[in-house]
Amino acid sequence: MKTRFVLIAIVLLALVFGLSTLTVAKEYIPGSSLKVGFIYVGPIGDLGWTYAHDEARRICEDVFPWLETVYVESVPEGEEGLFIDKLILEEDCDVVFTTSFGFMDGTLDAAQRHPDKIFAHCSGFKRNANMMTYMADFYQIYYLNGLMAGALTKSHKVAYVGAFPIPEVKRHMDAFAIGVQEVDPEAELHVRWIYEWFSPTAAKEATEALIADGCDVFAFTEDSPTVVQVAAESGLPSFGHYSPMYNFGPEHVVSGQIAHWEAIYLDFLAKVYAGVYTARNLAEVNYWWLLKEGAVEIGAKPGMLINPVHEDELRAVTVNDPILGTINVWDLVMKRLEQMSDASMVVDPFQGPVYDRKLNLRVPQGLRMSEFELTTMEWAVEGIVGPWPGEP
Amino acid sequence: MKKPSLFRVERRPVVPGHVVVLVSILAIFAALVAAGIFFEAYGISAIRAYQLIAKGALGSKLGLAETVRRAIPLLLCGVGLTIAFRALFWNIGAEGQLLLGAVAAAGVALFSGLPDVLLLPAMFIAGFLAGALWGLIPAVLKARLGINDVITTLMMNYIAIYLVEWLIHGPWRGPSMRGFAYTDKFPSAAILPTISWTRIHWPTLLLGLVVAVLAYVLIARTRAGFEIRVVGENPEAARFAGISAFKTTLLVMIISGGLAGLAGVGEVAGIHRMLLGPTRISMGYGYTAIIVAWLARRNPLAVIVTSLLFGIIMSGGDVIRVSLGLPFQVINLFNGLILFFLIGSELLMHYRISFSFRRQ
Amino acid sequence: MGWETWFIVTLSRTLAYGTPLLLATLGEIYTERSGVLNLGVEGMMIMGAYAAFSTAYTTGSPWLGIVAGALVGGAFSLIHAFASITLKANQVISGLSLTMLGLGLSGVLGRGWEGRPLPASIPEITAPGLSKIPFLGPILFEGQNLIVYFSILLVVVMWYILYRTRIGIAVRAVGENPAAADSLGISVNKVRYLCTIVGGILAGMAGGYLSVAYRPAWTEGMTGGMGWIVIALTIFAFWNPAIGMLGAYLFAALYHLSFRLQPWVSPELLKAMPYAFAIIVLIAISRGTLHKKMGAPAALTLPYSRGEE
Repeated sequence: MKTRFVLIAIVLLALVFGLSTLTVAKEYIPGSSLKVGFIYVGPIGDLGWTYAHDEARRICEDVFPWLETVYVESVPEGEEGLFIDKLILEEDCDVVFTTSFGFMDGTLDAAQRHPDKIFAHCSGFKRNANMMTYMADFYQIYYLNGLMAGALTKSHKVAYVGAFPIPEVKRHMDAFAIGVQEVDPEAELHVRWIYEWFSPTAAKEATEALIADGCDVFAFTEDSPTVVQVAAESGLPSFGHYSPMYNFGPEHVVSGQIAHWEAIYLDFLAKVYAGVYTARNLAEVNYWWLLKEGAVEIGAKPGMLINPVHEDELRAVTVNDPILGTINVWDLVMKRLEQMSDASMVVDPFQGPVYDRKLNLRVPQGLRMSEFELTTMEWAVEGIVGPWPGEP
Repeated sequence: MKKPSLFRVERRPVVPGHVVVLVSILAIFAALVAAGIFFEAYGISAIRAYQLIAKGALGSKLGLAETVRRAIPLLLCGVGLTIAFRALFWNIGAEGQLLLGAVAAAGVALFSGLPDVLLLPAMFIAGFLAGALWGLIPAVLKARLGINDVITTLMMNYIAIYLVEWLIHGPWRGPSMRGFAYTDKFPSAAILPTISWTRIHWPTLLLGLVVAVLAYVLIARTRAGFEIRVVGENPEAARFAGISAFKTTLLVMIISGGLAGLAGVGEVAGIHRMLLGPTRISMGYGYTAIIVAWLARRNPLAVIVTSLLFGIIMSGGDVIRVSLGLPFQVINLFNGLILFFLIGSELLMHYRISFSFRRQ
Repeated sequence: MGWETWFIVTLSRTLAYGTPLLLATLGEIYTERSGVLNLGVEGMMIMGAYAAFSTAYTTGSPWLGIVAGALVGGAFSLIHAFASITLKANQVISGLSLTMLGLGLSGVLGRGWEGRPLPASIPEITAPGLSKIPFLGPILFEGQNLIVYFSILLVVVMWYILYRTRIGIAVRAVGENPAAADSLGISVNKVRYLCTIVGGILAGMAGGYLSVAYRPAWTEGMTGGMGWIVIALTIFAFWNPAIGMLGAYLFAALYHLSFRLQPWVSPELLKAMPYAFAIIVLIAISRGTLHKKMGAPAALTLPYSRGEE
């Protein structure tokens, strides 16, 4: 009996030891039908990050008749290598997108393991001949949302519920705070962290805590509409995050950020199909797409830039801009949106001089931040109140 | 119970080995049929789903390699649990003990400054000790104060989870990780070798197999093993024989916790190469190992087989997620169903059912 | 902000977040009192949450949703009851299985229900006169819902039944000394079945509260480990419904305060606290008279068979 167990184990092990190489699949021929795999970090039903990527995947499938897609959801970080291998070896994918920062090293390893396949990693900074990076960032939209929040706050306390204290979220908070203070220099941005990407209960209690502290306008980074729902229950305005959240508070969702990952996916896949991008020339390819590329949109829902319910309030508040003169906030948002959507990008939220809340000069007069500086920023701007782990 | 019934249930005094194996296989088969009903309800052909699972988990090199890779932590934790369960210590805390092993390994790898050759051995030793220490706390609480082991080991898991969370968000957050909650990568001398392109970190696998054999020898052939069995099977007799329940409980939990700690070392040094979120380090291996040990009927050698079986289930689950786009929770559905059918099969195993009105 | 408002808000949030914990803890207290350990609370809660949301969404009635959640939770607990009472299976294994099954089943069934706002959720009510009572008024009578009051009522009823009625004596006897209970003519298995079902119904209702009242939406895994906190709270409560209320509210207050106090206290420390507390409580009551009065039911996790073995 016992020897049999050992035998079975030995046979199985021998089998595995015997496996030495993986069959290397063929390289993609431009113009042929293309199969693309997506590796998601969360469930596609999260109504946040993964949901937005999956919407984009479906749009791509509708647009390109030559495209076939497959996805795997809720892949834990550390397991991406396995699923990439499965997508390539068992599903015959030509291109694989991995959509979490934590997938960076696993994707790079896989890219080296499968040099003939094309990889794209979202939100990271490591590239390879066959691995590009891409990101659609919201910081400009957070700034625009901040302008409106500055106009809507009566208590001069605006709230932000953050997921994790990482550069991406900190950047968004900073941009939001800059917008708030441009309209209401007295206002503070109160911050709470929930240390989860997805946690409705934590988001709810964090929002309630901020309401109790006197905050009356809400922005957040968390993959559920909880903050919007809770704020609406208390009759307070909020800004949706990642997906259209208008339906969760039609009277109270002022505007928000909507991701259009398809802008990047369509562009990249079309270029792969045309043979512009191959498994040999991606080392310098990095999509850092913002408003002007159409990768992100401002709005309570697609097409509704600002909820008309709040129009009068926004028009009633005016700002003195050194260039635009006296202008009401509604017009200011439209003007800034137009400026940032334009290819020349005459304005940027992080336009120097910018000081952090410890009064160090972070962006000198006349300068802007580079993509590297934006993706590694850890400091908090003036006006942010609350804990800030990792503050330099 | 007093009512006359159509069938009588009699307890088998001893369950023969072949009955255990046969009934267990039947139960798993029945669970798969039940899960198949869900597939069909979901609009997926059950037969196709199982073909995919078989092909993906066993029929392809990739799947087979993953099956073995998943079996490694299950094997180490599972062997330890068989020993704890032998002494009737209900260690539900392998998950936390595994995490502590991972923490200790990461601490040694990143901060000890030991010479390269000593690094991996030191990580394994530290991992064993940390896991054993985490296991000893509930052991002492039970042996000295009679506190329920199920509950303390379970609570210790959560404390371990938040310890890891705190470390990666706080003091151990890696400067090279751009603010994300991971430690830095381990130096290359702290990373376990793998078999070719697979993710099978073979030193841990080898360790697991050796440990399974040693554990079997311990239980079956040594004085200490005899004492463990007596304490588990007949505590009264143990007391009369002068066997110290206190020492025995401590011993089984040093082994059980320590082995789970080794599994944690293997996961961070062999797979992740850094310390990261607790649910990513382990994916519930410590809980699944309870089933693995239980299904192996507390026989350390049988754990080799049952850990592979759950390796198949886990990597088979991956396959249907990729190929059929099912939600990842489908794995839990599988595990739950298999378990309940196995529980049900206990009845068939321990009781002979005869359909008659006869009275014996 | 004055200290008074600070307390009022904290206590008001405590009631709102503590209610699902309280409901499920009350249920688990009865289950464990009868000698059955059910580690499947998380599984029953998530099934309750799913059933409640889908029912409320389809019928438009959140109250029907709560009822559906309770029924499904109760039905789910029957699996554990059958396995651990009738089949005398290992309760630890069976409970863990129930959690896995619940998470798995709700994850598969719940696909497609995400991202839908509920047309009508359990309304928050403000009692016109009562909310004007200083201090207590705004805590108890402003913005709470009927389930909060129901759970408080339940504490009184369940405490009374457990300690002041024959039913309660039977439940406790079965959990402490099933052989003696049996000899007094109490059907051990019947009592255990009923108590396990009570546990399931209340866990399912707690899940329903989450998905149709607390945050009216369905998301996979939305109970987020609350079921395990309930296991800890049951110990913390010394298996007493009244102390269970205290524990659930204390934990809820800590949870809310972990966000209020974030600038000063590490959130990981606050989150680990209920589990550490549970162990400390067990140590504190492990000796002497306290042990007899407040310790775990003696027959917890032990199946009962008459005159065998």
